[in-house]
Amino acid sequence: MEMVGRAREDAVIAVEDVRKAYGDVQAVDGVSFQVAKGEIFGLLGPNGAGKTTTMEMIEGLHAPDSGEIRVLGMDVRRSATAIKSRVGVQLQTAALYPQLTVTELIELFGSFFGRRPATERLLQDLELTEKRDARTKTLSGGQQQRLSVALALVNDPEVVFLDEPTTGLDPAARQGLWAVIRRMQSEDRTILMTTHYMEEAEALCDRLAIMDHGKILDSGTVDDLIGRRFRERGVHFRRAGAPDKDKLEALPAVSRVVYEEDEVVLYTGDVPATIGGLLELTGRARTEPADLMVRRASLEDVFLDLTGRALRD
Amino acid sequence: MQRLLALTIANLKSFTRDRAALFWTLAFPVVFVILFGTIFSGGGAAYELGWVDQDSSPTSAALREAFAANAPVELTDGTWEESKARMLSGDVDGILLIPKGLQAVIDAAQAGQHPDPVSVTIVTDPSRSNTALALQQIATGLVMAANLRLSGASPLLTVAPDSLQTNQLNSVSYFVPSILAMALMQLGIFASIPLVQQREKLILKRLNATPLPRWVLVGSNVLVRLVIAAVQTALILGIGVALLHVEILGDPLFIVGFVVLGALTFTSIGYVIASFARTEEAANGLTSVVQFPLMFLSGIFFPLEVLPSWLKSVATFMPLTYLGDALRQTMVGGTPFVPLPVDFAVLAGWLVVTLAISARFFRWQ
Repeated sequence: MEMVGRAREDAVIAVEDVRKAYGDVQAVDGVSFQVAKGEIFGLLGPNGAGKTTTMEMIEGLHAPDSGEIRVLGMDVRRSATAIKSRVGVQLQTAALYPQLTVTELIELFGSFFGRRPATERLLQDLELTEKRDARTKTLSGGQQQRLSVALALVNDPEVVFLDEPTTGLDPAARQGLWAVIRRMQSEDRTILMTTHYMEEAEALCDRLAIMDHGKILDSGTVDDLIGRRFRERGVHFRRAGAPDKDKLEALPAVSRVVYEEDEVVLYTGDVPATIGGLLELTGRARTEPADLMVRRASLEDVFLDLTGRALRD
Repeated sequence: MQRLLALTIANLKSFTRDRAALFWTLAFPVVFVILFGTIFSGGGAAYELGWVDQDSSPTSAALREAFAANAPVELTDGTWEESKARMLSGDVDGILLIPKGLQAVIDAAQAGQHPDPVSVTIVTDPSRSNTALALQQIATGLVMAANLRLSGASPLLTVAPDSLQTNQLNSVSYFVPSILAMALMQLGIFASIPLVQQREKLILKRLNATPLPRWVLVGSNVLVRLVIAAVQTALILGIGVALLHVEILGDPLFIVGFVVLGALTFTSIGYVIASFARTEEAANGLTSVVQFPLMFLSGIFFPLEVLPSWLKSVATFMPLTYLGDALRQTMVGGTPFVPLPVDFAVLAGWLVVTLAISARFFRWQ
């Protein structure tokens, strides 16, 4: 559900018609959204959609050309330092201070906030205890990523910003980091994250905004986003040897026939009726539909529907 | 303050753990000093002189003794032919020839007669003008002294060698402060490279996402440079004094002051480089472009007097000219290129201008 009617002051993050251009490129083009306390909010979109720029303006790293951003009730431009001390930021950054050890780096970052971080706890939570005395340059990609998340938590922040936190990780490492992010939420932190992974957005985000070309195309929960445009399911099968389009369109309950790369998708409100008709049609031709599969629409379909192209590209 | 300290310690740890950086900043100037020290103090400037005595008399023996005792020469006895061969093959730098009949002339003079004077010949190689000149002076001086002694006159005028300030600065004394100045220059302008690296790797951006004020970041970088500058200064001066016997004459307070001012000025120039270089490669290139003219046109390796006048006027714009000049003046009493307050003013001027430029153009991301 959209946060209609909720007072803006309640939102932990409130972004209002924010714009930012780099030269001729309008990187962020009128973005508005709000994040409530304790939510995981995702910005989903392809590379170059403006997700990172939007997030970095909220973090106070870039000034927007126009629009208003409030974090924890404070204006980002006027109270940047006060905000920075209460939020945690993870950037898509390579190794910081490669010659320092994991523990040294965590304590250094703690000192920036004028506090002693809960180093033991962070090392444990992010499974870095074994690597505590290793120089950060010797860490693997997954360990580096976990370290950069640990650094975002040194000040026990109320709001955590995660920029593509699992990019480049193998599936096991990704699952591990998801667990860490869920734990952050259970500790009552508010999380704003960007991702270009559909599964990640579906698995983690309470609500998300789909971005492309600097604009938010739609936002809401995953169910909202899918249910709003797809009441139907898709019947997929191999395109090679498929019956003609006019015959497929005439099948029971089929609303649309879509040809994808090597698949045909029949959108239907009544899966058994459509499949019955399809089998009858192919049976007459003494063939059968290859790789037959029924799918609920996914965020991928939502993105395709919104932009006319697949997110993977 | 506590944040400044924490960041400075972290930066110093990073620096000392990076072996390559450590070598280039600390070992390199040391190697340089030792190398130049050995080249310019090597052998103590003794000249090899072939000694050809065709007279074999008490007088020629006395003359030989005088040469062996007083002059910075090493004598190699031999016949005229032998000595000529030695000089041609480079074993001796010159030949002193005492002709037959020397004793006879002296005996005659002492007996009250007026014989024609005999010439003692000094043979030198005009292609090696410094050596030739030195040998001629040595020979002339010693022969004149012998003349006086033999004619029984007591000398009324003597030359007492002494040095006032120092055009006579020996080479090592000239080089040690110069190399210190060069090391400080490199330390400062090479500050640009980690800065650009940190910006490229988004480290500056990451730090900017914390409440850490920027002055702490800049302050820490400058402190690190000053600590390294102190270590470099101690090393270079230590070697200069202990191994090369350079005498440090000046007020330590002035020396420290100019070392700090120099480190600050060149670090600020490093920030200017980092303001305009977008990539690490660009920073490397720009650093070289700045470094080499500074190195060769600032009186570091040779005094400015030897430069043609148009290059000399280029040198008068170089900040390193003034740091080198100030350090030579304060450390070893070098001849001023300009008075110390002018050195100070020029360096401070460069500092202010470059600070203003980096404040205007430096980008954190």
